[in-house]
Amino acid sequence: MIRRLPQWDLTLIALTIAAGAWSAYLSPYYLNIDQIAESTRQFVYPGILALGLAVVVILGEIDISLASTLAFGAVLFSKFSAFGAPLWVATPLVVAACAALGALNGVLVARLGLPSLAVTLGTMGAFRGLAFILGSEMGYTDFNDRYLFVGSEQAFGPVPASFVLFLAVAIGIGALTHWTVFGRRCYAIGLNKEASWAAGIDVARLKTQAYALAGALAGVAALVWIGQYGSARGDNADGAILFVVTAVVLGGVDINGGRGGILGVVLALFLLGTMRNGMGLANVPGPTQTIVLGALLIVGVLRPVIVQGLARVRRLAFSQPAVSSD
Amino acid sequence: MRLESQAPRGDDATRRGLGQLALRFRVSGVVLFLVLLCVAFALLRPAFMTPGNLNAIISNAAILAIVAAAQAVVLITRNLDVSVGSMMGFAAYLTADFAAHHPGVGGALLLMPLLIGGALGAINGLLVAYGQVSPLIATLGTMSIYRGLTYVYAHGQEITSSRLPHWMNELPDMRIAGVPVLVLIAAALVCLLAAFLNFYSLGRRMYAIGSNVSASAFFGLRTKRIVLFAYTLGGVLCGLAGFLYAARVGTVTVVLASGWELTSLAAAVIGGVSVAGGSGNVIGAALGAVVLATIDNGLVLLGIPEFWRMFVQGSAIVLAATADVLIATQVRHSLRARRRLARTWS
Amino acid sequence: MKLHTILLSGAGAILALGLAASGACAKDSGFKIMMTPKWTGFPYFEAAAKGGREAAAELGDQFVYAGADHADVSLQVETLQNFLNQKPDAIELAAIDLNAVAPVLKQARKRGIVVTTFDADAAQDARDMFVNQLSYKQAAKTMLDCALIDAPQGGEIAFVAASPTAPNHMAHIKYMKEYIKDDPKYQVFKVVDTQYAGDDDAKSYDVAVNLMQAHPNLKVIISSSAVSAPAGARAIEASGHVGKVFSTGFALPSAIKSYLKDGSEKCFALWDPQELGYLATYATHLKLAGKLDLKPGTKFTAGKAGEYTVGDNGEIVYGKALMFTKDNVDKFNF
Repeated sequence: MIRRLPQWDLTLIALTIAAGAWSAYLSPYYLNIDQIAESTRQFVYPGILALGLAVVVILGEIDISLASTLAFGAVLFSKFSAFGAPLWVATPLVVAACAALGALNGVLVARLGLPSLAVTLGTMGAFRGLAFILGSEMGYTDFNDRYLFVGSEQAFGPVPASFVLFLAVAIGIGALTHWTVFGRRCYAIGLNKEASWAAGIDVARLKTQAYALAGALAGVAALVWIGQYGSARGDNADGAILFVVTAVVLGGVDINGGRGGILGVVLALFLLGTMRNGMGLANVPGPTQTIVLGALLIVGVLRPVIVQGLARVRRLAFSQPAVSSD
Repeated sequence: MRLESQAPRGDDATRRGLGQLALRFRVSGVVLFLVLLCVAFALLRPAFMTPGNLNAIISNAAILAIVAAAQAVVLITRNLDVSVGSMMGFAAYLTADFAAHHPGVGGALLLMPLLIGGALGAINGLLVAYGQVSPLIATLGTMSIYRGLTYVYAHGQEITSSRLPHWMNELPDMRIAGVPVLVLIAAALVCLLAAFLNFYSLGRRMYAIGSNVSASAFFGLRTKRIVLFAYTLGGVLCGLAGFLYAARVGTVTVVLASGWELTSLAAAVIGGVSVAGGSGNVIGAALGAVVLATIDNGLVLLGIPEFWRMFVQGSAIVLAATADVLIATQVRHSLRARRRLARTWS
Repeated sequence: MKLHTILLSGAGAILALGLAASGACAKDSGFKIMMTPKWTGFPYFEAAAKGGREAAAELGDQFVYAGADHADVSLQVETLQNFLNQKPDAIELAAIDLNAVAPVLKQARKRGIVVTTFDADAAQDARDMFVNQLSYKQAAKTMLDCALIDAPQGGEIAFVAASPTAPNHMAHIKYMKEYIKDDPKYQVFKVVDTQYAGDDDAKSYDVAVNLMQAHPNLKVIISSSAVSAPAGARAIEASGHVGKVFSTGFALPSAIKSYLKDGSEKCFALWDPQELGYLATYATHLKLAGKLDLKPGTKFTAGKAGEYTVGDNGEIVYGKALMFTKDNVDKFNF
């Protein structure tokens, strides 16, 4: 089963290259370094959320409140900016506040034993409500330029600074999940919660930490958001969570926990990004894009079943040549 | 944990206990919650308790109650369905479009949304049960596909109530003994479903699968077929709900019911249906819908700003889930204590 | 053979003249104009696109219409970014969030792309012109006039908007409240509530029901959102409040025709979205061809849409409000 992991990643890479080729065919504007680099911007904030979500999913839980935490973080940033606080003061405080929200999810799930889908369904509304209450009606737009740097500027040539940030976060989270004790324990809990507990792992504490991490990353994503869109309002990123979940599951992370890796999630984001970018440049209507992405999700996950089915057919066809087919 | 409900037959003391009843029907949490809400609102604004207002609440909740019940049916088998909104939209739009082009079509029109919903639900079921796709992924994908297909079919048009058959527009407004027909339909459906799930073997098998799939398979249950059935049933209910939605609101757009997947999930959760499967009841899910409608109504009545509504609703979901788990734990402990006591005396 | 040569040389001469002419003065046709709505699939925006296509065809421009299938800020920005990369001459949009689209629009303007907003404005320094269907004051007045037709003696009224963050709806409400306070004609009204329905049918319906319960003496529900007004009318019918409570505001004539016909409602308002799209595209073309100066007070003719004057801050007000009543609703087919 673990062997399936690299195979899925390879499939994602192959699909991304195919998607790139198809996009180039669809639109003459696609194959352009500047364009492709710029297009990565669209997927940085959902990507950072997806990285946080992946850790939670590996644990065997889920968190659909992350987009709301982002909105809360964005509004909190706006308060700091209005106050005139420098970015290096605001960022750790906002990230900490978002981590606290995440930890709240963690406590409810890990210590009170509530089902994570139900809890985060509730906190999704509650956190966004908090963002609305904290923020103003019109939204805040008068950001100090420093705050906008990450989301809007470019770092190396045409590569956006936010994309560099995303890669850094991805490498960090990847290292965390694959090379640290924390990460290994997350996988263990995801595979078998009871056995892990019996083995002496503090399941509740780890889960709380993972949720807090996801919350903190949502705060980082909020920083990218305000730079990219220059606005902080209660309805920021409303509805983004479905795309984030899609990226995580398409990346091969098993929704029941214990399997999958960060590399898969990053590759899935590239695949989704390439497809959306290509279709967008060719002005493919929104609904058609939605259908294609939905189909991609299902076909992608059905692949092993299809492969198995084909293998079975092949076996049947070759094993009994004397028997007449009916 | 769920073995508690199968207490040894001869154990009268435990069977008679209120705790046993509560655990069986799992509605105690949401009923308590609803009562508390109503009392709170009534104290703050006596106008809340008028028959007209209460009527308004259950009318608003009716359609959501059906969809919440559909979601509950799937949840009980330890699966979920986030494509309910898209199924409603697809069924509603196609039916409305057909009706608009064939004026004079009678009650047979009702078959269309049921069949369409059932077909869509069946596709979901096939993907999950036979395709071995995780329910979240499968229904996330079909959610997009069904909504996208609705768009492609609609070509940017919406269907207005004037093009719908007269009887369809009249239906939700009719009242029997002062209660809107819509509410009666929803209540009847939910009661039938509850009876089916509790007293028919197929219904009980759905609970069994939700509790423990592998054990059920070993026991000889055809798990795949039953899951397929659950999804199809859910789809049929969504088709009906979509039709009623169109009849009620009048204008049928492509984005009909988008967002209802999360709302129906919220209603089911508030109603005590466990997302881990195997417990909960459609009646609870329907009451969860009533809770949401009550909150909405109460907030308007009290003049609370829109900003707070989302916060209150989200907190309500968390509180309901907490209350439900706390009650269930308490009940379990009391049952275990009583059993231990009974055993020491035997 | 002789005829052949004459014809060929004639054609060649015309071609040469044409080439010379186009080389001599600036390009005045064949522009690439791209339009994106708040979301596709909504008849209102589809009608605007139709108008835009009409204008482009008339003027010899290329017209592309694309967008996401639901109102999502980041998707709209993504669409605009994709537009940018297709190197159009102009971009038209109805902005979901006036600030979120500002960065990408400013980038477009830096590249010399003309940016026009219609229906919903973006930040002023991010676009060249804003084709406003009605000035906010005019919109407010029109809705109040409709309310007067519904309830000439006045009474309690409530507002329904999409969300507290929708700038046009909030502006409507602000001016309506001002008119009610200052203008004797409208002082018969008393505002008792403001609710939000997120441009969602079912929510609008439920909100209307709850409003009628919360305010037993409510006379009129005024909806800025074209989704909420018909839903409100439906709710009134269903709950048996016909004649006691009225729903009005902006709505597509096709959506409220039946209520006007059966007498449960008396008046709704809107404007012609097709002509709005036509005007926006026409004005954009004129700007591209260098024939439109956006200084306040400039007058120009936009084909069959008529004559218009540029206002302050690049705002062009379309200004043709339509009030639908039982007598005239059949004239409209959108």
